[in-house]
Amino acid sequence: MSPFKRWRRRQSAALLLIAVCLGMMVFLSLETQSFFSWKNVVNILEANSYRLLLAIGMMCVIASGAIDLSVGSILSLSAIIMARALKAEWPIWPALGLGLLSGLVLGSINGLCIHFTRINALIITLATSYLYRGLSLMITQGIPITKLPQAFREIGCGDIFGMESGVTMALGATLLLIPLFYYTKWGNYVMSLGGNPEALKRSGVHTGLYRVSVFALSGLFSALSGIIVTARLNSAEANAGLNMEMDAICAVIMGGTALHGGYGNLLGTVVAVFLLGLIRNGLTIMSVSSYYQQFITGAILLCAVVVAELRERRFRVG
Amino acid sequence: MRKWMTILLALVMILAAGCSTTTEAPAATEAPAATEAPAATEAPAATEAPAATEAPAEEEASALSPTVQALYDAFDAAMAEQIGPMPESFGEINVGAVVISLTNPFWVTMQECYLAAGEELGIPIDVQTGTTEGDTASQLDVLMTMADMDYDVIIVSPIDGTNLIPGIIKCNENGIKVINLGPGVDEEALEEAGGYLDAKITVDFNEQGETVANDMIARLPEGGQVAILAGLAGASQSEGRTAGAQEVLEAAEGIELVAVQNCDWDASLAYDATAALITEYPDLKGIFACNDTMALAAVEALAAAGKTDVLVYGVDFTDDARAAIQAGSMTGSMSYSSERYTKAALQMAVMLNEGHVFESPVYLPLTLVNVDNVNDLEGWK
Repeated sequence: MSPFKRWRRRQSAALLLIAVCLGMMVFLSLETQSFFSWKNVVNILEANSYRLLLAIGMMCVIASGAIDLSVGSILSLSAIIMARALKAEWPIWPALGLGLLSGLVLGSINGLCIHFTRINALIITLATSYLYRGLSLMITQGIPITKLPQAFREIGCGDIFGMESGVTMALGATLLLIPLFYYTKWGNYVMSLGGNPEALKRSGVHTGLYRVSVFALSGLFSALSGIIVTARLNSAEANAGLNMEMDAICAVIMGGTALHGGYGNLLGTVVAVFLLGLIRNGLTIMSVSSYYQQFITGAILLCAVVVAELRERRFRVG
Repeated sequence: MRKWMTILLALVMILAAGCSTTTEAPAATEAPAATEAPAATEAPAATEAPAATEAPAEEEASALSPTVQALYDAFDAAMAEQIGPMPESFGEINVGAVVISLTNPFWVTMQECYLAAGEELGIPIDVQTGTTEGDTASQLDVLMTMADMDYDVIIVSPIDGTNLIPGIIKCNENGIKVINLGPGVDEEALEEAGGYLDAKITVDFNEQGETVANDMIARLPEGGQVAILAGLAGASQSEGRTAGAQEVLEAAEGIELVAVQNCDWDASLAYDATAALITEYPDLKGIFACNDTMALAAVEALAAAGKTDVLVYGVDFTDDARAAIQAGSMTGSMSYSSERYTKAALQMAVMLNEGHVFESPVYLPLTLVNVDNVNDLEGWK
């Protein structure tokens, strides 16, 4: 099999999604006036930068054979810690660092709990998602922390390349993840953790290290995502990121990463996030009620996984 | 070749599923036909419902009770004074509205009223919202998208004081006029960020609290203990209603305000709080809940405890509250006409577009519906 063919087979999910995206873009361009414009492309990118960060973190976790239901809660809690620091007159960069560090720590706590208790990641992160969300509520008492320093907002949503800085951050993180995930020992071990953890352990690899680090990475991306959300809304609130873990999981699975782990499809994840953003944007532009949004998302997810599964089976047999 | 056919077919299916929400079997013969047809039927479907509800409204217009007619007249007079007359002719205008949520009955009604008012005035209007209530980020995304579309005026009702600020600034930059309807935008933060509102139409939340408190005091000539169930801490509606009621109640002789509790607009929290309050204060005489959802929960909790002599007030005058007031289990609710509210906002949109300037915020006249006048208010909406 030629390398190109192998790549095409591997990326079949992503290619299919790209085709759907293109089809949808053609359709929206013909149907509406405002869709086909650079400004609208910027809109879509800006509205999905923080979702992309959550999704690529989630992709690593799922590739390692686990799942992380706490990303939305980490987003909110780390943003609140950071906002508190800003309100306490901390300089901008240390406060940002504190926010990112708390994301890293909160993610590591997930990883440590899972490694040492050997309890399913779904259950551990379900518990921590409530714990972290509860802490957010306890710290803020439900009142959003608003009116953050302008200098912070410049960093979180200032202008870079004619769009909000969040887009650069998210795309930058994605680009950095490509070599890290596909061309380093770390990426290989993380995928083997999902594919065949027993073999990895028997070959003398300290699996706990990789388990914790992949959750820490997901936590870090959630915190970065939290910075973007907080800067855009100019408020850190306990409800931020609510249910966003589900959107992230949806994008990862739609993008062709198997839920049982062993392989992660970064390109597919990015395209899926873009596609979901495209749907939201298209519905707004076409003035279709938000009632339809969830239904359509569900329908596309279902079609994507069914098609992926059917193709997979055919390859397995053939 | 077969492989490509499979992919093509899958694509068509996904596209059809993506663009059509009706579950009609997609005619999988040619892609464009399958995608276009459902989408075309979908857009009108969104506006169909309100159009259908509007027809009976017009028939009703002649049969309004005198009380309702008087209320409407007073409303129109107050509005005319604040806004001025509707321009007799006006240029083409495209209006957008961003509301809080379409999973909350109050905003669903507002959406219907917007569309009906648009139809009546001959103004095209789109009503949009984020995915779920409380999703501040996606509400902003919607406004950001709309700011690049060809609207002349956008009417915004933000989830909280700051979440729509970047979108409002974008509207300012793109020359789209912004009207703030209902819950307030934090104008200090907006100004700091370099944006401004072109007009504001809202309800005086303090007045809502004061009116309820005065009615409550009038019904309690011998005084007694009362409590307030507030909404979400920090939300301007909740803070205003609570402050207004608190001021009046604390100044009244013989009335003792024993508790002000935040129940976050949540029915089950309000239920639990009420149950706890009547255990603590068995002689409790009155409860003011900052919206009807919480008031109705308080009614349930009182019924479960066998209490029938506690006055319960709410805000919004929802259909459920109307039934409860008619049945006598609830005492009253603050109301205003959503129909006139949205129509006034649209009129302001037209006037802004014609170059009119609104110097000060427009406040809606309010009505207290209680057990005495509820039966006179058929047709009020």
